[in-house]
Amino acid sequence: MEEKILENRDDLFAFAEFDEHESEHIAAPQYSYWKSVWRTFIKNKFTVAVSILLLVLILFALIQPSISGYSPLIAPNINNSEMRFLKPSAEHIFGTDNVGNEVFDVVWAGARNSIIISFVCTGINMILGILIGALWGFSKKMDKWMLEVYNVISNVPFLLLAMILSYVLGAGMGTLIFVMCVTEWIFVAFFIRTQVMIIRDREYNLASKCLGTSTWTMIKNNILPYLISVIMTYVARMIPSLISYEVFLSYMGLGLGVTKASLGRMISIYTSYMSGYPHLFWIPVTVLAVLSISLYIVGQKLADAADPRTHM
Amino acid sequence: MSTEDREVILSIKHVDVTFETGHKKKLRAVKDANFDIYRGETFALVGESGSGKTTLGRAIMRINPCSAGEILFEGKRISGKISREEDKNVVRNIQMIFQDPAASLNERATIEYCISEGLYNFHLYKDEADRIAKVDRALESVGLLPEHKSRYPHEFSGGQRQRVGIARAMIMDPKLIVADEPISALDVSIRAQVLNLMNRLKAERNLTYLFIAHDLSVVRFIADRIAVIHLGEIVEIAESETLFKYPMHPYTVSLLSTVPMPDPLVEKSRKHIVYDPSQLDQSGEEREMRELRPGHFVFCTSSEYAKYEEKMSRMERELG
Repeated sequence: MEEKILENRDDLFAFAEFDEHESEHIAAPQYSYWKSVWRTFIKNKFTVAVSILLLVLILFALIQPSISGYSPLIAPNINNSEMRFLKPSAEHIFGTDNVGNEVFDVVWAGARNSIIISFVCTGINMILGILIGALWGFSKKMDKWMLEVYNVISNVPFLLLAMILSYVLGAGMGTLIFVMCVTEWIFVAFFIRTQVMIIRDREYNLASKCLGTSTWTMIKNNILPYLISVIMTYVARMIPSLISYEVFLSYMGLGLGVTKASLGRMISIYTSYMSGYPHLFWIPVTVLAVLSISLYIVGQKLADAADPRTHM
Repeated sequence: MSTEDREVILSIKHVDVTFETGHKKKLRAVKDANFDIYRGETFALVGESGSGKTTLGRAIMRINPCSAGEILFEGKRISGKISREEDKNVVRNIQMIFQDPAASLNERATIEYCISEGLYNFHLYKDEADRIAKVDRALESVGLLPEHKSRYPHEFSGGQRQRVGIARAMIMDPKLIVADEPISALDVSIRAQVLNLMNRLKAERNLTYLFIAHDLSVVRFIADRIAVIHLGEIVEIAESETLFKYPMHPYTVSLLSTVPMPDPLVEKSRKHIVYDPSQLDQSGEEREMRELRPGHFVFCTSSEYAKYEEKMSRMERELG
């Protein structure tokens, strides 16, 4: 038996040519950053479920108000005492409020304004903050005076500023967006500045400098791609917190005027009916909570998926 | 070839690099460095960790500013403030190869972008097709494949990444390359591959290298001339073989005595010489670079010079 194997040994093995090119070949499939982000994101069933819930909520809030045509100025049932304070039922899904309006319509109209304001403000804050913060992190000269500006602005009480601005400019969507952007961007910029400083002097940035790359190109290609994940985390925290801000300011009477539906003002009005009709208070609060929490969860999961360390 | 008829490509004149390490505290990382690099040679800068060799390399790349002295490239000053035109010229002609190939490539960019970066900055291509052709040629010149363009740096091995770094520098068609410990971070099995590649490219493109290293056996293999730097001071400059044969400065002697020998018996019986600065001339006389033999410079006082002269003559008699 043994001899037989030894006999046939020459047939079993053949010399292979050494191919230098073949040794450089990478067998792994092509890597694509955004595809990997997507794959990591949809891997978790819970994340997918929350994302779908969030998407439905947002679409509902954006579309439903234009179907119902709700406006705080129109109250067709205001003189019909039978239509007031109805409990939730098949006919009135969330019941009716103190002026006989459908709570269902009021909630979605309020949610729509909250979502629009928070998304617009987050967008403005992030764009301003990232652009200024990236330059701030790069320039030592700018750092000196920007730190002083930051110290001054960050020590102005937000509520005070919001009050003054809304009294001076008058309540309304534009004012509210302005109030929530006028100082908020500098916190984003400061955060980005710190992040940029951490990776600014890494060797690949020195290499780019040696190749004559300009600061803007370096920010665009060397710095921001590394910050996608931390920026996502920031956005995930900012959107729900701005929704809460809007609600809080409207609750305080500083937000949207009486002409615009607002979750915050609704909650502040309905608080007085807490003892008799608790659903009036809990329904808008629950919608707000579900919206904020699912936004936060989806944002966090997206931020995690955007971190290439999770791709392997 | 004597030193006179060679053309100086880079000239370092009384260069100091100083770092502020706190309030009014200063660290002179490079002290009064003085040397010339000739076109077409490989000039090595060796020293232990913290001796200032990388700092000097980075001063040439203008990452660290010089606090005194000047650096001339082809006769023109490149240290301090220079015009935009000059800056472009210097960037195109002096390129760097970095120590850590993992850290010196942008992890979020494809190899195509990493290599094209210099081309983009100076618009060194006619159209897209020309740029891609240039990238392909650069990849092939370092033994990589055009199909690697769409890959990301983390997909490559250390040696491949370092070759990407070399291709990135070479695509600019530079005249001088500052190689800052290009093989220290690599696996021993592929060091030779990268060194051979560097030597081949040097011959093909008529390059000049400033090779910064701490590994003396590598330096002996690749360098034409060697400068030994200790605590920011250049203590000895000589042709490679001369330095290994006739080390003069006590620091050079002790540095050479630490080169590991592959034979365990020889290694065991060797005496490692510890550098003792107290054996130098303590009279307080200013040291300067003095030429002991043509092309062999030692940093010393006049009394030390006499001592080295005597030692040199003795060694020449003994070694022939």
